[in-house]
Amino acid sequence: MNQNPLTVTELTKIIKKALETNPSLSNLWLSGEISNLTYHSSGHIYFSLKDENSVIQATFFKYANRNLSFRLEEGMAVIVLGNVSIYGKRGTYQINVQALQPAGLGELQKRIEELKKRLSEEGLFDPARKKAIPFFPLRVGLVTSPTGAALRDILKVALRRFPNLSVLIAPATVQGSDAPAAIAHALETLNEGSYDLDCIILGRGGGSFEDLMPFNEEVVIRAIAASRVPVISAVGHQIDHPLSDDVADASAPTPSAAAEILIPDVRELHNEVSYYLTRSERALLTRLERVSDRLDSLTSRRVFTDPMQLLTMRQMWLAEVENRMKYSLTTSLNSARNRLQNLPDITWLENKILESSRYRYRLALQKLENMSPLAVLERGYTIVRNREGEIIRNVRSMEKGDQVTLTMQDGSARGIIESTKPEEV
Amino acid sequence: MAKEPKKSEKNLTFEEALESLENISSRLESGELGLDDSIAEFEKGMRLARFCQGKIEEAERKIEILQKGKDYDIRETAVKVNRETGEIEDDENLQGSLL
Repeated sequence: MNQNPLTVTELTKIIKKALETNPSLSNLWLSGEISNLTYHSSGHIYFSLKDENSVIQATFFKYANRNLSFRLEEGMAVIVLGNVSIYGKRGTYQINVQALQPAGLGELQKRIEELKKRLSEEGLFDPARKKAIPFFPLRVGLVTSPTGAALRDILKVALRRFPNLSVLIAPATVQGSDAPAAIAHALETLNEGSYDLDCIILGRGGGSFEDLMPFNEEVVIRAIAASRVPVISAVGHQIDHPLSDDVADASAPTPSAAAEILIPDVRELHNEVSYYLTRSERALLTRLERVSDRLDSLTSRRVFTDPMQLLTMRQMWLAEVENRMKYSLTTSLNSARNRLQNLPDITWLENKILESSRYRYRLALQKLENMSPLAVLERGYTIVRNREGEIIRNVRSMEKGDQVTLTMQDGSARGIIESTKPEEV
Repeated sequence: MAKEPKKSEKNLTFEEALESLENISSRLESGELGLDDSIAEFEKGMRLARFCQGKIEEAERKIEILQKGKDYDIRETAVKVNRETGEIEDDENLQGSLL
């Protein structure tokens, strides 16, 4: 008889060591069906995994099940990753689960399809329920993880496009079993408060199919449907299409795409405003030119009846057109200038308007100069000067024998006055 | 100008103002308006352009995060964001920030 028997604890230690050092018993994948499921108040989950012939106890501790994004159910077929170990107090062996996924995505997919069908019958996905996404939102709500990449991506894109945008972040955990309730709560909070939001982006970066499961949960779908503020669903990557996309008022393939879609690029808006303004200015100038052409044709008829009055009329008309142009263009210029003085920083658009007004005004002045009395020479008029080079404006200031210079469009000629004949006034 | 919705300029949305401005440029280009009307329309266009500008400037430019206070009330806390990276800079404000 052996005088040195092992104690039970010693044996258990040996078995434990044998199990834990055996590489085929650690980090192994095991498939089975869940039974005897218990969600313990401590946060640990206990269940058995079984197949037709055998059963093994499974422990799924809180630290490991924190990221589980769906609720386990009796009879659910799953695959687990874990290590076999021994529980000495009960003399049983068990598997400590590190990660768990449904056996085939078919299981989860089936649940989603069932939910979709049920909610669809309620009319939750009806296109008529969808609210319009605002063209130019000033204040946007974000429901996402406060530490995730989605938040960074959205802020980066949104603030680049519209630096003055106002953003209210409703932080929510977007992964794991707490996520559905947290997301729904964040959406409700943004709707309850008087936050005056124009739109909400519900965002989450890419992840596995299970990671995105919260966006397929009924409580989340219902919270989106109930939101008074329009919601854009921006979950995962291009290929992901959770139910939140179907119920939201709009969906975007990624969080940064949601920011691109929702937030207009203010530089583009500035350009658009500036474009219409330039078109208006050009059209107004054309209009002014038309007036001048009409006056032109009226006055040219008078050339034959009253040549002396032409210059006076032309000058009057020039003054009139100039006044009008000054009125239309410099008032805008001045008011733009006034505004500039009242603003702390000179903005791009106003510089642009000012610049283009100045340019247009210079063009207009140049046009007026081109039509100055000198240009009239082209039409057959002649300027008469005396020997001193002074312009002679009336016959009475000339005498027989005076030397004169005639300036025409293409040169000058000299001559001597033979006679004068003032008209009786 | 019957096409123009009768809405005071102050109550316009940005989109409506932009559309109005586009209509004005088209009307001016059509050459149907008299000189005085042209000038009046042009000035209205200037006002609309300034209105659009104002809308862009008037936004508040603030980033806030909702946080639960000690007595479980929810309040907004302003946070600083790096505009290059989108990163929240004073992220000690994010500690325990879940609603």
